[in-house]
Amino acid sequence: MAAKPIASPIPVAMYPTLSVFTLAIGLVITAFFFIYEATSSRKNRSLVKELVTAAVASVFLGFGSLFLLLASGVYV
Amino acid sequence: MKKSSVVDLLLLLLTIAVLATPAFSDLVLSKVERRIDVTSQFARVTKTLKVVNSGSESVSEFTLTFPKFLGDNLAYLSVAQSEGKGKSKRHLVILSVEAANPKGKPDSISFYSVALPKPLNKGDTLTLEVVAAFTNVLQPFPEKISQADIHLVMLQESAQYLSPYAVESQSFSIKLPSARIESYTNLENTKVQGSEIKYGPYKNLPQYSYSPIVVHFESKAAFAVAEKLVREIEVSHWGNVQVTEHYNIVHRGAQLKGEFSRLEFQARPNPRGISAFKHLLARLPPRAHSIYYRDDIGNISTSQMQSDSKKTELLIEPRFPLFGGWKTFFTIGYGLPLSDFLFASEGKRFLDISFGSPMLNLVTEKLIVQVVLPEGSKDISVITPFAVTQSQEIKYSHLDIAGRPVVVLEKNNVVPDHNQNIQVYYKFSNINLLSEPLMLISGFFVLFITCIIYTRADFSISKSSPAYLAKLQWDEVLATLQEVQSIIQKCLATHDKLEASLRDLSRTGDIQICKAARKSTDSLLKDLSKELKPLLAFLQSSPSASQIYLKVEELVAKEKELQEKLMAKHTTVVEGYEKKSSGRDIENRIASQQQKIITLKQEVEDLLEFIDEI
Repeated sequence: MAAKPIASPIPVAMYPTLSVFTLAIGLVITAFFFIYEATSSRKNRSLVKELVTAAVASVFLGFGSLFLLLASGVYV
Repeated sequence: MKKSSVVDLLLLLLTIAVLATPAFSDLVLSKVERRIDVTSQFARVTKTLKVVNSGSESVSEFTLTFPKFLGDNLAYLSVAQSEGKGKSKRHLVILSVEAANPKGKPDSISFYSVALPKPLNKGDTLTLEVVAAFTNVLQPFPEKISQADIHLVMLQESAQYLSPYAVESQSFSIKLPSARIESYTNLENTKVQGSEIKYGPYKNLPQYSYSPIVVHFESKAAFAVAEKLVREIEVSHWGNVQVTEHYNIVHRGAQLKGEFSRLEFQARPNPRGISAFKHLLARLPPRAHSIYYRDDIGNISTSQMQSDSKKTELLIEPRFPLFGGWKTFFTIGYGLPLSDFLFASEGKRFLDISFGSPMLNLVTEKLIVQVVLPEGSKDISVITPFAVTQSQEIKYSHLDIAGRPVVVLEKNNVVPDHNQNIQVYYKFSNINLLSEPLMLISGFFVLFITCIIYTRADFSISKSSPAYLAKLQWDEVLATLQEVQSIIQKCLATHDKLEASLRDLSRTGDIQICKAARKSTDSLLKDLSKELKPLLAFLQSSPSASQIYLKVEELVAKEKELQEKLMAKHTTVVEGYEKKSSGRDIENRIASQQQKIITLKQEVEDLLEFIDEI
């Protein structure tokens, strides 16, 4: 069997763009999370809503920061 | 000439005279061509040997010999069988070579045995191509020079080919870097052509014939030796192979005597310091990127890069010119695209990368290659074209838990001929790639969870202080207020529905649907007002909400009024339709009501806004 070159799962040239977009989305959701935390009163705050927002925000921020690391040359 | 080497040569001659081992005598070398290239700092020897089996038995082993003083400095040796002549010459197979130790072997000769691909029968011939590289064989002489002196070196060799076999015809040529030759041993049949010295051809030499020669000449080559070179090759499956090389370079030529004068070094038109080297050239693989050149102080700006589709050339200039005995330390690093070096084959992945340093004509005394594989790599094996010492380590880097496996390859005395590719095979699953983003994601998630817990936690020390109780009550008032707000919003939404049903009526004229809508809104509003009651009672009873209660009460009252007006309007319109009055008639009748509804709506919205700001 001939040797087949292995490339990265996502083209290297895409990392900067991806990092900008995922981080932007992640930060918007984070902002929503903190606004919700600060404005809703303790009694009628919904835990499920908080957890879902936190999970979505952390997925976007996690991938965003990974792509940022890769785009800046820190190949983890 | 050094005294010890003279003694060496005498000893060698003596042992050769005594030696008479018949074991090798079956083979005869019908033609030997030897070329030695000393244009760089090491000696590169290429030999073409034509072997004939003159004995009666077939032979499967060939023995190569070198004088001991050369054999001890042997850095690289490869033997290939070739076929044809001139341009049609083909290298068939690289043969395996190992150091041999035959019985009765004299101390002054190094033996290497070559396994032939197939036994050589009686009368058969075979052509062997031998390439050997020797380091430290160009002795600087004089050993110490001043800044203005030229760099002279000395080479010892044998004009006749030292071999355990009889040689029928032998020629020998030495390629020197320049035509400036101080002295050379003049034997019969010696010719000097420019920068080349030719000995021979010599005919019918017996076994172990040896005639020492010494050539003393000027060398302008950079005698750059890396005392220690650590190459770290880090593989990231996110698309990069990062190479970092730490060099400890020393000039191994004649030592500088006296002091160094920068003025004389840079003087024009007669600069002094020809024995120093200023540049080193590294030939990196194509598409190398993010190249840096630095040392302990920081970035070294004196470097130049040129790249094309076949290679990337990096010309680096150390912080100072290097004279004999001077040392310098620096680091270069570069990134390479993953798909050029990493391949998949039969369920395994392998890294195919050059072993040695990319620097041209650099001799490395101790080379350590560290191949850092991604976390989670298994079943690691290494294939090298020559023998190296292998070991494994663990390295901790960015976002690691278990650490990355590191294959450490060590080799002493490395010359540019060792710049061959090595293959590091390992197994790796792409699932492991996700471990890094998952770590980052869980990190952020923990941060959010902390915030959630913080906002829910009660950090007050005294649970019975009036301020604390007041705060608790205020929190409750705020929560109730929010509930009231949401109920009022719901009421307003049902009002909108009612209005919409009226619009539908005017379009379709279906009174039944409109009545049904009225019924459902009635019950909905009733429910909502029921929900509102306990909240209002709480606000009324709460002392801290006395101010707010007034506003809330006003809001609820206005809302109720709005509700009533709307109902009245609705009834009027429906009745009008039932009596089949004209559209204009109905409109006239509800005109005054409509005015009031609009003002009430505005008032309710103002109140809501006011409460929202609390």
